[in-house]
Amino acid sequence: MPDLVFDDVSISYHTSGRNSRGEVAAVKHVSLELPSGGTLGVAGESGSGKSTLAMSVLRLLPRNATLTGSVRIGDTDVSELSFGRLRAVRWAEASIVFQGAMHSLNPVHTVGRQILEALELHITDRWRTEKARKERVKELMEVVDLPPEKADAYPHELSGGQKQRIMIAMALACEPDIIVADEPTTALDVIVQKQILDMISSLVRDRGISLMMISHDLSVLATACSRIAVMKDGELVETGEAHQICLDPRQPYTRQLASAFPVIGDPASRMNPISRRERPPRPPVEQRHAMTDEVLLEAHGLNVTYHSGRRSVHAVRDVDFTVHSGEILALVGQSGSGKSTLARTVLGLQAADAGSTIQFRGKDLPHKGRQLRAFRGQVQMVLQDPSAALNPKLSVYESVAEGLRVQHFDGNEEDRVAASLQEAELIPPAEYIGAIPQELSGGQRQRVVIAGALAIHPEVLVADEPVASLDASVRGEILALLLSLRERLGLSALVITHDLGLAWNIADTVAVMYQGRIVEHGPTEEVLLNPQHEYTRTLLAAAPSIRDKAVA
Amino acid sequence: MTTTASAPVAHPGSARAMAWRRRRAAAGQFWSDFRRYPAGMTGLVVLAVIIILALLAPVLAPSRMLDVTQLLDSPRYAPPSLAHPFGTDDQGRELWVRMLWGSRVSLVVGFAATAMSMIIGTIIGIAAGHFTGWVGGLLMRIVDFFLVLPSLILAIVLSSVLSRGVMTIVIAIGLTSWAGTARVVRSQTLSVESRDYVERARVLGAGHWHIIVKHLLPAVMPLVLANTTLTVGSAIIAESTLSFLGLGDPSKQSWGTILKNSMDLSAATSGYWWYVLIPGLAILLVVLAFTLVGRVVETIVNPTLRNR
Repeated sequence: MPDLVFDDVSISYHTSGRNSRGEVAAVKHVSLELPSGGTLGVAGESGSGKSTLAMSVLRLLPRNATLTGSVRIGDTDVSELSFGRLRAVRWAEASIVFQGAMHSLNPVHTVGRQILEALELHITDRWRTEKARKERVKELMEVVDLPPEKADAYPHELSGGQKQRIMIAMALACEPDIIVADEPTTALDVIVQKQILDMISSLVRDRGISLMMISHDLSVLATACSRIAVMKDGELVETGEAHQICLDPRQPYTRQLASAFPVIGDPASRMNPISRRERPPRPPVEQRHAMTDEVLLEAHGLNVTYHSGRRSVHAVRDVDFTVHSGEILALVGQSGSGKSTLARTVLGLQAADAGSTIQFRGKDLPHKGRQLRAFRGQVQMVLQDPSAALNPKLSVYESVAEGLRVQHFDGNEEDRVAASLQEAELIPPAEYIGAIPQELSGGQRQRVVIAGALAIHPEVLVADEPVASLDASVRGEILALLLSLRERLGLSALVITHDLGLAWNIADTVAVMYQGRIVEHGPTEEVLLNPQHEYTRTLLAAAPSIRDKAVA
Repeated sequence: MTTTASAPVAHPGSARAMAWRRRRAAAGQFWSDFRRYPAGMTGLVVLAVIIILALLAPVLAPSRMLDVTQLLDSPRYAPPSLAHPFGTDDQGRELWVRMLWGSRVSLVVGFAATAMSMIIGTIIGIAAGHFTGWVGGLLMRIVDFFLVLPSLILAIVLSSVLSRGVMTIVIAIGLTSWAGTARVVRSQTLSVESRDYVERARVLGAGHWHIIVKHLLPAVMPLVLANTTLTVGSAIIAESTLSFLGLGDPSKQSWGTILKNSMDLSAATSGYWWYVLIPGLAILLVVLAFTLVGRVVETIVNPTLRNR
């Protein structure tokens, strides 16, 4: 079995067009080695060049990229292969599990057909006949723990985790020696993530495949890889054994990356998300807002059913909860648990079933017209993906002022917008007002969304996975912002997440949601440190932790 | 809601004053952006020149120059020369005079019919995409009805019911060509409707009007503009078809009529190339100028195209 060697690899992109930045170096002088049968993790934030490095293994870089140095699989230099040879190497010797299984599968073919495609392009003795290939597909489905009949399903009929398994089955199809997995679990919730990681680990162990895994999450890499390389701005910052990188990082950057994901139960990270930014001074203790007994938002016997055709799906069942003034409540659950539906219902975007009560300050949630608009002035939402939540054509000013305009705000709009941007820590506001979303980073975009919500001075903020699509370091910044908003303005928040670490970081109380029901609800320390319900324990056990390695 | 008479004077920071200031600034910004694109400016200048010439037609070429009874001495089928810049036609009329007068009708019909079809198409398309349920369904059935209707027959029926004239042709073209636009606009509306920022606007308290005007309309505008540039050309040609069928005003010149006359005389095969080429090039020039302007407007309206 061949080794994968990166020898002094530099990759730069040549950009053109009006906003050309000339030559952009994405990877700078990286030398790495993946011995056969080994596992190597590459960590880094977006823009660190880790995906570019992964693509170079199979020469999948776009045409405007130039590579110097050499990428070798065994003795063959990938950049010198003829196209025919390269095709043989692709998939048969090394394969890639692409990022975002949701979008990498062809929606008009069954998944079995797509696995078959790789086999047909790389016919070997083992699957020379049509029948043998079909057999092989079945075999692969078993390897990735899926029932063989799922091969006849179309991508939209599968869940995220199942699609990811299909992607892995595709990568394994031609029995490659090397697998490159680019963020294989990023869009998945903790429980599915754990299943996928366990599966990958056992495949590596049993079949002696070499694995190069790329992720922004050190704890994920720690679970699956024995060695980890940390990249920043295209350069290699640190390489070492996984447990050394996680527990005893030598470089300050690695330390930052390692601390971005909190350890549940660690008092240092409780109510203290790691943020790289200088924080604004906290108000004096006596002026800080904290959780009070005043009930703002409450729901009793809340049920939500979706009807589509004759089928109906009971998404939320008999849920009771309250959000007090100044409280940060984290609603935790895996995808499909009904937590997003609950959020939409609380905001009046989704109708609740008859018999449910949702009250804000003791008054029923209005359904239309003026009252609903007034209610919207009190309860605001922050969506998961800030890039989608901002109209790409509107400037930051327009986006923030939008709420003021629909609420018929009479005061000085410019001042209010500037103040909101300031509150969302976009300082100085003048610098951001004219920008359009695509000119901002992910974290800045999320701040704009938050500023837009803050502009109309709401009392409750409903945040649906506010950091799930953001980088590790930005994650801490946004969480710190939510926490500081509570302290400075007394803003209550209902934060929806699949990430228990997030709850540990900022929440006063936690509600765990499972199959539409809230199975456990209480103060964060109680729920997370002394879980009563079976499901909470499963969730906690599934959360990857960099400490695991030390115990193992 | 609670703004009473006590504060009638909008102070400088009020929403209305802000809105006006913003609009004025936006218009100024738009113009200064537009000026930076040579292609757009070229198109605009060409359009302006054609429009000015059309307006000045009675001054430059008094209508008696088209009177056949006064042109008995004028040579027929004279090729372009210094004396006859665009040549003459089968009745000795100067082609440039006919072109000049024809541009008035052609442009009016082209612009008016396009505007009509775009406005109807955009309104129906956005409404069908935004209001789901039976309203949207009903609107789409209406669109389907207009799509399958043979447009020429509808136009003929309309022209024979209504009085003859330019206005009738405009209505006939406008009413028969909007359905395609509506379909395209609806599909774009549906895709924008599912974006998070529309949901965010809804959470902020926005009603239908705000969402349509602020988010849906700007998103479909580039599409509509691109569509417009093409429709102007086909409207000018549709006008000539209807004129040919005798549904237009026969006493009026139009580029379509000129093309039609040239076709009747098989001008192209008889060597009277100018008779075909000049009206053809004129239509091409107008459509091209429109496309150039439309492209630049699209680039400015949609900032995400800036980097391309």
